[in-house]
Amino acid sequence: MSKARFGALVAAVSLLVAGTVPVAAQDAEIPESIKVGAVVPLTGPFAGGGAQVERGYRYAIDAINEAGGVYVEEYGTSLPLELDLRDDESDPNRTTAILEDLNGEGVVAYLGGFGSPLHAAGTVIAEKNQIPYMGVATALQALHENGYRYYFSPFPKSPDIAVSVFEMLNALLPEGERPTRVGIFQESTDWGEELGAAWTEQAPNYGYEVVFHEKYTPGTTDFSDLIFKAQEAGVQALLSLPTPPDGFALFKQMGELGWKPEFSLVVRAADVPTWNDLGDVGDGVFLSAGWHPALGFEGIEPMNQRHIDEQGRPADPVVGGSYSLVQILADSIERAGTLDREAIRDAMAATDLDTVAGHITFREDGTSPIENPLMQRQDGAVQLIWPAEAATAEIRYPANE
Amino acid sequence: MRRNVSVAAWFVLLAVCIVLPFSSEDSQVLTIAIQTFILTALASSWNIIGGFAGQISLGHAAFFGMGTIITRELWLSGAPLPLSLAAAIVATALFALIIGVPMLRFRGIYFSIGTLALAVAISLTIGNLFPGITSMPVEALRAYTFTDPYFLALGAAVTTVAVAMLLRRSVVGLGMMAVRDDEAAAGAVGVDVLAHKLAAFAISAALAALAGGAFAFFSVSYYPSYPFTAVWSFETILVTFVGGIGTIVGPIAGSAFFVIGRDTIAANFEGFQVIGFGVLFIVVVLLVPGGMVEGAQRIGAWVVKQGQGRKRDVEG
Repeated sequence: MSKARFGALVAAVSLLVAGTVPVAAQDAEIPESIKVGAVVPLTGPFAGGGAQVERGYRYAIDAINEAGGVYVEEYGTSLPLELDLRDDESDPNRTTAILEDLNGEGVVAYLGGFGSPLHAAGTVIAEKNQIPYMGVATALQALHENGYRYYFSPFPKSPDIAVSVFEMLNALLPEGERPTRVGIFQESTDWGEELGAAWTEQAPNYGYEVVFHEKYTPGTTDFSDLIFKAQEAGVQALLSLPTPPDGFALFKQMGELGWKPEFSLVVRAADVPTWNDLGDVGDGVFLSAGWHPALGFEGIEPMNQRHIDEQGRPADPVVGGSYSLVQILADSIERAGTLDREAIRDAMAATDLDTVAGHITFREDGTSPIENPLMQRQDGAVQLIWPAEAATAEIRYPANE
Repeated sequence: MRRNVSVAAWFVLLAVCIVLPFSSEDSQVLTIAIQTFILTALASSWNIIGGFAGQISLGHAAFFGMGTIITRELWLSGAPLPLSLAAAIVATALFALIIGVPMLRFRGIYFSIGTLALAVAISLTIGNLFPGITSMPVEALRAYTFTDPYFLALGAAVTTVAVAMLLRRSVVGLGMMAVRDDEAAAGAVGVDVLAHKLAAFAISAALAALAGGAFAFFSVSYYPSYPFTAVWSFETILVTFVGGIGTIVGPIAGSAFFVIGRDTIAANFEGFQVIGFGVLFIVVVLLVPGGMVEGAQRIGAWVVKQGQGRKRDVEG
């Protein structure tokens, strides 16, 4: 192609592009639905958790729509919720790009995915676009210390997790039998830094000693060095927060090297149902996923039954928290009486609601005063161990016997 | 006459780009445009070392990443943006000069692997040193508009393309291309091979840092290690090959095609964008090694040939 022809082509395409720039149109009619945007990891390292989040959102939206939708005073009618759920591939940078797209689609609120890195990216976009954002499966307390107005998370945070594990052990195990020699395998991420520091700070307050504390890069495939060092240090209680692939690699190698401590808390990785594929080495592990169907809150039963019908097992831990977010959103829209994002945000901040995850209110920083249940995988089932009054099974300890 | 039309076309394209943010407030349109400009700047910068000097660097993300982290850290610490950008560009160019001396003594695949290894090592180190997300302060977030990042990204693209244009017509640029075509022959006729490679490497790195600075100013949040990841190097090489390696227009056309195509595929066939462009890359390398530019030239030649044939038929 000659330069002249190329030039003419560039000019023509440029004019075409300029002429087709969309012009915003106003539509004053009653909308057919209430658009809600969700960005969830359905593929990538967090896919196992993302599948639970997706199920929670879907079940809740179906239940609310089957009950007639959400009444919006501004329009004098009830409208169904319409979920625009997209996969961010467990990539925080895809999260931000998708949330920008959803903003353009006119969603009234964002629902987040699974894992602190994805929520960390999402909350910033929510703040920029001034759209209320809710998320569970994220314990990163630091996100609530940024002064954000649009981020709400009814989920236990790092300080809650750090305290609850020691409280549970002290309450359920007699002195002298407790796993007082603690080892921390800390992921080199912002949440890893936060929770690692919280465990280190709280351990001595409850009579525990951190005898081993080392970092690793996410995506590490060889944990043998950490395992050998922890063994040498005489670690009895292993505390970790790996992504599911990292957690699987770690425990598989622990099995191969014949090391299983008396107590293990695996935040995040052990939440996914496929954890059972690890067999003996994964059994007896504790998880901290924020919810369990045995907590017995209002509305759990029909949701749990649907999960059993579809999946053949009680609702997975993250399903309940995700379900509650849609309940909170529907309630906020109803109280706001409008689809205005700012009004919905204000109503959300004033939430005072019974949900499948318990009674929810929000603090000024968007966190919620919510108890941190701890579960243990026992023979493939997820048993609620803490709080003791709702426990479905006794603690199995030591786990390596 | 043809030259005048070509110059006019460039100005029309630039004018459209300048007018766009004033005629549309659609954040999706502006985001796509900004992403295209940043990728154009990055691809054009890689084109200098890869297309002009013939050194296939697989570690370009390291320079892009350095541009982002230096610009972002200084700017968020309160330094003026131009100063932050300038510091990033100068530091990255110096870094490229320092590592370029030993690295450019490698040839072919050894140079490529060396740059890839270096970039991966830097990426992992940055991930460990800066584990937390980098976000703009709340006040800046609420006041955020696309206009300023848009013009910085456009400026980065225009600057990079302009430097590539000037370089291609310069003695230094001709020396780089001589090295690309035959190192031994270039050396035999008096071209300082290492100096020309080093110049291409440093200029390329400095312009990648400029693109990184634009990314740092545009993005409200990201993990600091993200711009250092190999995906930036591979996307850069992909769009340069798809557009037309060694040409001025190629990286621009390839970037626009890639960004728009990626979003279109992602929106309609979620999850298939990576494999889609992977297949496209293979097809281009096998069938149209000169990319979109060569493809357009072939189509143009075919149209002209058909036109001449019809003219002969009519006259006959």
